[in-house]
Formats: sequence, C-alpha cells, structure tokens
Amino acid sequence: MWLVVVLLVVSFLTFSLMHLVPGGPWDRDKQLSPQVIKNLNQKYGLDKPFMEQYARYMWGVLQGDLGVSYTRQDRGVTEILMEGLPKTATLGVLAFFLAMLIGIPLGMAAALRQNTAIDYASVLFSTIFASIPAFVLGILLMILFSVYLHWLPTGGWGQISNLIMPSFALAALPAAYTARITRASILEVSRQDYVRTARAKGIPQQVILLRHILRNALIPVLTITGPELAALVTGSFIIENLFSIPGVGRLFVQGVFQRDYGLIMGSILFYAFVIAIVNLVVDILYAAVDPRIRYD
Amino acid sequence: MSTTTAEAETKTRPHHTLWGDAFIRLRRNKLAVSGAIIILIIAVAAIIVPWVSPYAYDKQDMSAILEGPSRDHPLGTDILGRDVMTRLIYGARTSLAVGLFTQFIVLIIGIPIGAFAGSLGGRADNLLMRFVDVMYAFPDILLIILLRSILGGSIYMLFLAIGLVAWVGVARLIRGQILSLKQRDFVVAARAAGASNLYRTTRLLIPNALGPIIVSVTFNVPRAIFMEAALSYIGIGVDPTIPSWGTMVRDGFDILFASPYVILFPAVAIAILMLSFTFLGDGLRDALDPRLRK
Amino acid sequence: MNNLLEVRNLTTHFHTQDGVVQAVNDVSFYVDVGETIALVGESGCGKTVSALSILRLIQEPPGKIKSGQILFHGADLLKLSNSEMQKIRGARISMIFQEPLTSLNPVLTIGLQLSEALEFHRNMSSQEARDESIRLLEAVGIPRAERRVKEYPHNFSGGMRQRVMIAMAISCHPNLIVADEPTTAVDVTVQAQLLALIKDISKRLNTSLILITHNLGIVARYAQRVYVMYGGRIVEHGSAKDVFHTPAHPYTIGLLSSVPRLDEPRKIRLSPITGQPPDLIFPEEGCAFRPRCNFIEGQCAQQAHSLVEISPGHFTACSLTQNGKVLWKKT
Repeated sequence: MWLVVVLLVVSFLTFSLMHLVPGGPWDRDKQLSPQVIKNLNQKYGLDKPFMEQYARYMWGVLQGDLGVSYTRQDRGVTEILMEGLPKTATLGVLAFFLAMLIGIPLGMAAALRQNTAIDYASVLFSTIFASIPAFVLGILLMILFSVYLHWLPTGGWGQISNLIMPSFALAALPAAYTARITRASILEVSRQDYVRTARAKGIPQQVILLRHILRNALIPVLTITGPELAALVTGSFIIENLFSIPGVGRLFVQGVFQRDYGLIMGSILFYAFVIAIVNLVVDILYAAVDPRIRYD
Repeated sequence: MSTTTAEAETKTRPHHTLWGDAFIRLRRNKLAVSGAIIILIIAVAAIIVPWVSPYAYDKQDMSAILEGPSRDHPLGTDILGRDVMTRLIYGARTSLAVGLFTQFIVLIIGIPIGAFAGSLGGRADNLLMRFVDVMYAFPDILLIILLRSILGGSIYMLFLAIGLVAWVGVARLIRGQILSLKQRDFVVAARAAGASNLYRTTRLLIPNALGPIIVSVTFNVPRAIFMEAALSYIGIGVDPTIPSWGTMVRDGFDILFASPYVILFPAVAIAILMLSFTFLGDGLRDALDPRLRK
Repeated sequence: MNNLLEVRNLTTHFHTQDGVVQAVNDVSFYVDVGETIALVGESGCGKTVSALSILRLIQEPPGKIKSGQILFHGADLLKLSNSEMQKIRGARISMIFQEPLTSLNPVLTIGLQLSEALEFHRNMSSQEARDESIRLLEAVGIPRAERRVKEYPHNFSGGMRQRVMIAMAISCHPNLIVADEPTTAVDVTVQAQLLALIKDISKRLNTSLILITHNLGIVARYAQRVYVMYGGRIVEHGSAKDVFHTPAHPYTIGLLSSVPRLDEPRKIRLSPITGQPPDLIFPEEGCAFRPRCNFIEGQCAQQAHSLVEISPGHFTACSLTQNGKVLWKKT
C-alpha cells in the first residue's frame, strides 16, 4: 500500500517538475514552426490540462504503458526501457552479490581477529573504498587494466570481459560499507549478555559464532542492503555512462540531453519502483530473521 | 569524608568538557588529523591560487599541448595546452564551494524543519516523516538532474539543486536527536521550570544536537563534491568553462589512451579529497560519540 | 581439604584507557558440597568479576586473571584447555545471570536455547533434548511448557525469563550453580518465588550454590556462610549467623544498618553509607574503607589488608576489631 503511495507521489512530483522546465520538449537546435509545435502538442496530448495529462499517463502506467518517447520515432518507452533493463539488472545484481561476497567475509575476518593485522588491513580497505566514488574507481581501473595492461575493454556490452570492471567498480563501495557494518555489528553482538550465557553453557566456540552471534549480527547488515541497493542503482547510472553500457541509466542521460520527457519520466519511475521493491523485500526479510518484528 | 575522595579523584583523573575531550580524542586519531591537514592544504591552495599561479586556468598555450609533467608544468598540460596543476587547484575551488554552499543550504532548510517537527510532534512531524520517506524512495541524483534542468545552468543553481535534495537527511537527523533529547532529564527539568518551547528548542536542544550535525556535515560535504563531479563528468554539472574536477575527467576521458595522466590527476584528486573528509568524519564521529566516553 | 570449589588468591584486573582496574584482589573462598555461600557487597566491589572468573568468562582483553587458583574437585580450572573448560561450563558449574531481559538470545526459541546444552553435554538427540526441555520448564514452574518451548524470549516476562535461566542452569545437573544477583531485575513478589525455587532445586539435586547479592535479607535466609566484599577484596567472612549478629567490619555494619529489617521488632533508623565506592585504579593506602568509615583511628592509614580470625570461623579485615574492639552492640 505504502509502495503505491510512494510511486504516486514520485510520479506526480516528476511529472510536475518536468512541466516546470523552461522550454518545451520541442525546444530544439532547429526551430520548429509554431504550427508544427501545435500539431505535435495535439498529437501527444500536451494541449490538454495538466491534471488530465497526468491522469492519462498514470492510467497508461497501470497497464504497463509508460507512454511514448518524443525523440525515437514514437517507440514506446516501455519497449526502450525493456532493452536497457537486462543490462542494468545484470550489472546491479552482479555488483550486489560481489559486494556481499567480499564485504561480509571481510568484516567477519576483521571482527574475529580484532586488533590484528587482518583487522587493520580490512578496516583500511573498507575506509578507503567506502569513500571513493564508483566512477573515480572505474576510471582508475580503466587506466590500469585498459590503458597500461590492455587486459580489458574500456566499454561495451556482450562479453564477460565487459562486465568485470564495471561490476567491481560498482561493488567496491557497498562491499566496503558491508564490511564495516559486519565488523562493528559482530563486535557489538559479541559483547551481549546472551553470548556470555551461551559461553556459560559450554557451547563450542564455532556454534556460538554461527548460531548466537552471526544471526544477530547480520540483522543490521540486512537493513543496510536496502539503501545499498538503492545506491547501486544510482551508481550504476554513472557507471553505465562511463563504460558505455546501454542500460537504463544511459537512456536516462540521453533522455535528459534530448529533452525526451517520456523517457525521463519512464526511467525515474523505473528507478523509484526498483528502490521501493527492494525496500519492501528487505522489510520482509527483516521480519523473517528477527522474531521480535511482526507485520500485521 | 567524601570530600577527600572527590579531591583524590580530581587529582588523578582530570575532568574535561565534552568538546575539550572530543578534541583530545580527535587529535589522537592520526587518520583524522591527516585528513584535516590535507583538506586544509587543499583549501589554502584553492584560496591563494589566483595570486601565486604563473598560469591562468583558461590560458591556452598551443605550443605546449598534452605535455607530460615537466618543470614548467608539474602535472603537464591538457589538450588545449592549459596547465593541469593550475586547473586542478581551481577545480578544488569549485569542489569546496559546492561542498560548503550546499551544506549551508542544507542546514538552513534542514535544521528549522527538523527542529520544529521534532519539538512540535504530532501532525507536522508525521507529515515531515512521510515526506522524508518519499524522498528516500527517489534516487537523489536523478532528482538533482531534474531540478537542474528546471533551475538552469548557473553554478548557484547547482548548489541549490543539491541542497534542495540533501536537506531531508539533516532534518531527519535533527528530528531524531530532538526526540531523544526531549526525554532527557535536563530538558524535562527546564520544562518543569517553565521554559518556553522556543527557548528549549534553541537553547537546549539544538546546541546538544550540534555534535551529530557536525559529523553529518563532514560526511555530506564529500557527497556534494561527488555529486558535482559526477554531474560535470556527464555534462550537466558546472559550465564546461569553469574548471572542475568533473569536467577535467570528462575532457581527459576522450584522450584516455593518448594521455592517461590528464584524467588520472583529477580522478586521484577527487579520491584524495573524499578520503580526507571520510577520515575526518570518522574521527569526529568517534570523538563526539558520548557512548565511547569512559 | 575436601571442598567442592576452592578459590585461592584470585586476582583479576581490567586494562582500560584510564589505567588498570584492580577489580578482584587476592580473593579466597570455598564452597562445600551442598552448601550455599553468599558473596555480598555494593556494585563494583568485585563480586560479579569473581563469579565470572570461576567460569573463566572474563573478556580478555580488557580483562585478565592475573594470578590465583580455582580448584574444582581439586583440579585447577585456570590450567584447563579451552575445550576442557567447555565441558565444565554448563555441565559441572553453571551460572544464572542478573539480567534476564538481555541474557537470552532474542532470535532463538526458548526450546533451542535450552536443548543446545543438553545436546552438547548429555549427548541427547534433538528429540530427547526437546522433551527434556519441556520437563525442565515444567520443573521451574512454567505452565504450558510444550507450547512455550516454541516461543521466543520476548514472549516471556522478566520473571519467566529468569525461570528459563534457572532451567538452563540445572539442565545438566551441575555440582555448582553461581547465581549472580538472580533477582535484582524482577519484581519483589517474584524475587521470593525465584529464590525459593533456586534453593529448592539445589537442595534436591544436592547442588552447591554461590549466591551473589547486595541484598542482606536474601543472605540471612538462604546462605550458610557469607563473604563480604569491598573494593575488590574480602573484608569479612563467617557463618551467616556470625556476620549478622556480630558483624566485625564497619562496612558490614554499614550494610546492615542501611537495610530495613523485618525480623527486628524495634524501628531502627536507617543510615546509609556515605561517600563513593573506592577507586579501583588508584587504591587508597591502608584500609580501603577508611574514607567512609565512622570508626576511623590512626592505625587505619597504615594497616595492610589481611584477614584475621577473631572467633572460630569468623574473619575480618578491620584492624580495630582484630584488636578486640567491639563496634556493634546487639540491640
């Protein structure tokens, strides 16, 4: 329910903001005659009152129709986005699993070997990569692996080699973040009374770690996966541009430059939808892990 | 009898104020100190560069195009023969300006809204929190781009666009701080003593929420700097004639293979500045977190 | 000696930013088979750290057992390997903690938390452990036990959770139970029930009990012998009767006069102990209780800590009573 409200507000905000943009969608380098503009407005329904336009648009959205692109020979926005979607999704999902596979073990290793070289190395790694933006990391990777070593292509799509740099560049920040949270959370949980109770019961150390510590410690890790995935989505939009990946993010930027309102509106709704769904899934998982939380 | 114990205690364990104590702990943190020093160096360089640089940031020298690092040009020249080092330091001006002014806007909007939502509670509070929830569902960089196309291309409008999106975080922080502070005894005591709502908010609550605000600003400045760089890299940030690390990255990208250092320096500069802010922010957070006080 | 547990000269320190906290200093005590002893003192006096030291549950770092011996059936627990110690914890010596609200894992069912010790120490199958868990919950007075094992700690009240903790502590028939302020966090009405339950079970199983408390009322009723701790040291030790009727340390006297006594007909004015607990990083020279003591004399500043037997089985660290002075007149 909340999901629907969020999407409604987001769509309405975006829709109104786009109508505030000075100059219409036909504001091109080559001036169009007033008559042509009038015809175009009529064709796309832009001469209708604002609320009616919005209502028509949302009615379409409900049926999976995100309207038409104003610049691409009347192709449907849904169709265009569907071409970009698999690329963005592949990149995002890959980066997310990379981040978890690097971040959680790294944080665990640091926490279990607290105040050793492993811990310090992990903390340093996570501090550095938590603050370097994905696109800067992408450029640095590109200079190293494409320019100097000639190992990997700078961009494109279709081969595994196209995926390596973008996914690592995208995964580094959430991986570092996950490692930090995992470490802090394990250390915090290890100090809890119930862990002492388990030790007082004579439970073996490994069982305490797996059953008593990790299960509780991963709850905060889970809660940040929502914001993390959202950050991945936004990050992917710059990474797609950097590595010339024809995903949704790249389409959005093209839409902005071409003033393609249909495309802008569609991609923002797409992003908002993904973020909202992710948060919903995280909430459900959260309730599954922590018995204290129940949703009615 | 008890006075002797108290005296013995003051002798052995000196008492510090929260801020004094925090400062001592911050100074002990080597990473935070080095972060602060690097930020300071970059800031000073950015301020004095017009008077000390032998080159203007836009001075083109067609006889020295894409030169590597040399004595005349420590970091080489770009495709128009402009001195990269000069442009880099001017770019720091842009970055720091973005960082500072957006935070200024963020605080001006965020503090009053958060403070009043938190202290008034009820419907105003509810409304704010729902709005914040929606804003969190909105990918912020997309919203900034959208605002950018409405507000127009000047750099001030860029500050405004970033600030208009980022204030919700501060408002939420202030609200949370105030809600928890409200329960604290000294505020309850002031209320019992008849202090007005406004007095409690401005004199008691906001000063006590200052620590977390400082920490959040320290983390938000690099975020704004990154936004500017990313937008300028895509081509919807600052005007391309203004030197900025993002536009430099964009310029360097086209000649990545021919002269990789042109893109390397601004990229490294962004990384270093963001890292410094993170180190400082981490240090400040650890220093100001009263839970760590012994 | 034929004691179940004998702690000899235990010294446990904590290394903090401010310095070394000498939490437990040269503490010795013993428990006989089937006996109940009490460790009494205010917060921070070292009683909990002593208890945790017995089970080697001190977090290291910052904590460290510096020296001493903990003889259990004559063998020094401090010399055991970690896996040998694991077989003692929960099985031979178990512990009941102060905070029932935080001492149970919030994300695991009560049944699982009860049966895991049974599986490790008594080699039960998970089905056997589950049945035994239900029996244990019934034994500590939790109704509808077969339903309750499937529930989580947050479904239980504080008193009920402490019953679960008691069930856990007795689950492997230990020789010794250490109960660290088991009733501090629950309602007064529940306190008596819980203590009666602990006492009843320990008597039935012939389990020894170390009761850690600041509540002298509990001591009088349940313990045979009492150790009074102050500033990380034992300052008085004797039978419960001796300590109650002829207290021989000003701190014990202070404790007694700050507790309302229902067994005395007259209304005695309560007098609290003034001043602050001692600084354990920079301990006072001489008697540690000196700054708060009402009987202070010149020798107190020089006197080194030593326990002296003033009557059979009754020890005190106070140099005044050691020299025959009577500080407490029975009213």
